[in-house]
Amino acid sequence: MSTARAKWIEALNTGDVSKITFEGVVPFGGGEVLRYRLENGLQVRLLVDRSAPVVTYFTWFGVGSRHEKLGKTGLAHLFEHLMFNETESLKAGEFDRKLEENGAESNAATWLDWTYYYESLPADRLSLAVELESDRMAHLVLREPQVASEKEVVANERRFRVDDDIEGAASELLYKTAYTVHPYHWPTIGWMEDIQNFTPEDCESFYRTYYAPNNALVVICGDIKEKDVLAKIQKAYGPIPSSEIPLENTHPEPPQLEERRVAVRKPTPTEKLYIGFHGPALGDADHVHLTVLNEILFGGRASRLYRALVIEKEFVSDLRGWVATFRDPGLYELHFTARPGKTAADIEGVLARELERAKTEPISDDELVRAKARLELSTLQSMETMSGKAEQIGFYETVLGDASVSFRRLEDYRRTTAGDVLRAARRYLVDRARTTIHVQPEEAATSVEAAE
Amino acid sequence: MTTRIELEGGTLLFVEESHAIPLVEVVVSTRSGSAHDSVEKQGLFRTMLGMFRRGARDLTSHQIEDALDRLGSEISLDVNASISTMYGQVIERNLAPFIELFSTLLESPSFPEDEFGRLKREIVADLIGARDNDRALAQRAFRRGVFRDHPYSRSAAGTIPGVESLTTDDARAQYRKHFVKGNLVIGFSGDISLEAAERYARRIIRDVPDGPRLQDPVPPPSPIPGRRLVFVDKPERTQTQIVIGQLGTSPHDEDHIPLTVANAVFGGTFTSRLMREVRSKRGWSYGASSRLGIDRQRHSFAMVTFPAATDAAACIALQLELFTDLVEKGITTRELAFIKRYLARSYAFEIDTASKRLHQALDVDLLGLPADYYSGYVAHVEAVTLEQANGALKNRLTTRDFLVSIVGTASEIEAKVREAIPELGTHDVVPFDRD
Repeated sequence: MSTARAKWIEALNTGDVSKITFEGVVPFGGGEVLRYRLENGLQVRLLVDRSAPVVTYFTWFGVGSRHEKLGKTGLAHLFEHLMFNETESLKAGEFDRKLEENGAESNAATWLDWTYYYESLPADRLSLAVELESDRMAHLVLREPQVASEKEVVANERRFRVDDDIEGAASELLYKTAYTVHPYHWPTIGWMEDIQNFTPEDCESFYRTYYAPNNALVVICGDIKEKDVLAKIQKAYGPIPSSEIPLENTHPEPPQLEERRVAVRKPTPTEKLYIGFHGPALGDADHVHLTVLNEILFGGRASRLYRALVIEKEFVSDLRGWVATFRDPGLYELHFTARPGKTAADIEGVLARELERAKTEPISDDELVRAKARLELSTLQSMETMSGKAEQIGFYETVLGDASVSFRRLEDYRRTTAGDVLRAARRYLVDRARTTIHVQPEEAATSVEAAE
Repeated sequence: MTTRIELEGGTLLFVEESHAIPLVEVVVSTRSGSAHDSVEKQGLFRTMLGMFRRGARDLTSHQIEDALDRLGSEISLDVNASISTMYGQVIERNLAPFIELFSTLLESPSFPEDEFGRLKREIVADLIGARDNDRALAQRAFRRGVFRDHPYSRSAAGTIPGVESLTTDDARAQYRKHFVKGNLVIGFSGDISLEAAERYARRIIRDVPDGPRLQDPVPPPSPIPGRRLVFVDKPERTQTQIVIGQLGTSPHDEDHIPLTVANAVFGGTFTSRLMREVRSKRGWSYGASSRLGIDRQRHSFAMVTFPAATDAAACIALQLELFTDLVEKGITTRELAFIKRYLARSYAFEIDTASKRLHQALDVDLLGLPADYYSGYVAHVEAVTLEQANGALKNRLTTRDFLVSIVGTASEIEAKVREAIPELGTHDVVPFDRD
């Protein structure tokens, strides 16, 4: 047994809550989130909620695909898989087995700005999550067989989500085309060639750099006792040393000065359009305003584009709009699936008219009321489960450093005016900052510029 | 504990209170579904239900959608062979006007001709668009192959000719037959009192005519003999979608819970046999699972994987080997002890929201499940013996007769896939864009 491991086990039995700093309270709906920090930098957020005898345990790491380098794309995501493998004290498969034996649900996710892991457990099994998560933060084993096997799994995940999936492939191409400098250029799952070339050394280096308490946030939500939980956290995580997190050296994406268009052919029965306008960062005040505009354009069957493209013209069978929720400026994404016999040109004509209208005419009071009510409903829906609440807390803490934003956004939606929406439309619906991916059915494609 | 109240005319009401979030869920189900569609008019039930938001009393479709948004509410539909459901959810402060609107949609749909034509064209476009979804294509081929001429073989969404043949008279007739008091079940969950729920439920059925609960027209399905392959041919597939299975069990079978337990060992968890052998050891597929379908009659047992095209044949061979081993040798004492702990302890997540508790109560009534199917679930699981679990595997599953459905590129891998299935009887290759 290594010395570090022995010290860690010893410390597990001598946890001292007095070493934890209380950093205040954040209002969260009708309750409050308690903020703490350990000496090694680990941040802890607690929300006591006794509405069900369960507890959810999220661990967020401040690392995502934006922290990768060219040639090593997909490492953050591959690493998420590796975290379910061996530790110095647990054989392969035992992590999941212990959780399942105790009735837990668990999973993980990686995206551009972050990675998270979660367990939802019966409330009396919380200790197990503390034990397992602290163990794999400090004692993961990264050897060739595990890395090789997980590379295959991830390659299959890529085939499933991207290579054989039209939306996945088009979305990847959209970001690849819209971003030239910023790391949002590459997909979180990584390029296939990069996935297949990772070595255990790549993984070990990544782990030692980013999987440290000072780059992590633990969110616990449920039927918990604050003092008991803190004692457990201190015992388990207190001895884990912090690491030196490298300064992030991301270049901002330069302004896009002309529209970019790419056409691809796929085995699909109908044409599709994936459009991205360079949009605001999550923390930008206009993120709220553009989100309200998106509801007016795409939210529900009374929205402008649903009415125009589905009801009146019958040009599309599916359409969606989404304002990316990224730390740095993301895309405002618009997706359209044409009906059989209809073309991208049909859709783009209607779209151009509606986008121009959004930039020239203030929205009506009725539209504003509808959009705000829909956003209030979706905010409340995201809080229906214990894991939903914990995810909201962790997401806003990790991306913006403040859990209360999730509820503050509701207030921001309520305060939004027609003038705010008009300004956001003019700022972001700019043709020169637009990227378009046009998917054509293979047999119907004519002059097609092949994607790289 | 979900409260059950019998209303006038035979409508049942279930209420599950929770004041954690200011949201209310409203559910109205019929005790009948797409199994009542004729073979020629597949998709009728779902199309009929879809018309509820396309016009009611003097409200146009646009006015309905506008009102739903303004209230901070939404409605959605779910139709399967045995049940149809209209879900609503609303911010609590707007519950009263929402119930008025919801009731109007249910009691007075106007079936305007222009909206009916528009809806049919939307559904046809969706059916064509679904060809982009490889997983759905594999599931459809599996369902059709396992149930063949039985109503469970059909999709509630219907077929293109079926939907195109529908008329508003068909929809009105279907509506009049199914939306009668004795055939309805109502549920409320969330931020609502029992008294208010009862009052609103009475409002919902106020103008619904009296009528009987409808009988289920679905007979028990029969197993289809032999080992069969349906290959759904789609170009440029780097990956396959595979479903392998046969008939499974009915919730009324004595060995239903023992089979559920044994299936969980085989493919119901992240550390199950299938996941361990296919994903963890070989890295062949991102996921590998097995599941038992539940309906009023015996439903399906299915293994689901999605390996790379180059690994598909080997993966099928491995799955068949693992399946044979399961049926012939059963599960072990250790596996049984482990899975019983998992199923009993994870049950907390089956009942951790008011909505989940409500839907359990609705399922018991609507599917005619044993009364203690959920309330006694943990005790039933804990009582399962090794003999019962292994006996259920032998009684309900067979290594002799099964169907393999796969979506892939036939010119590249079909021959290898056939070779991977010993004693294969029939095999068909169907284009992915054939209905």
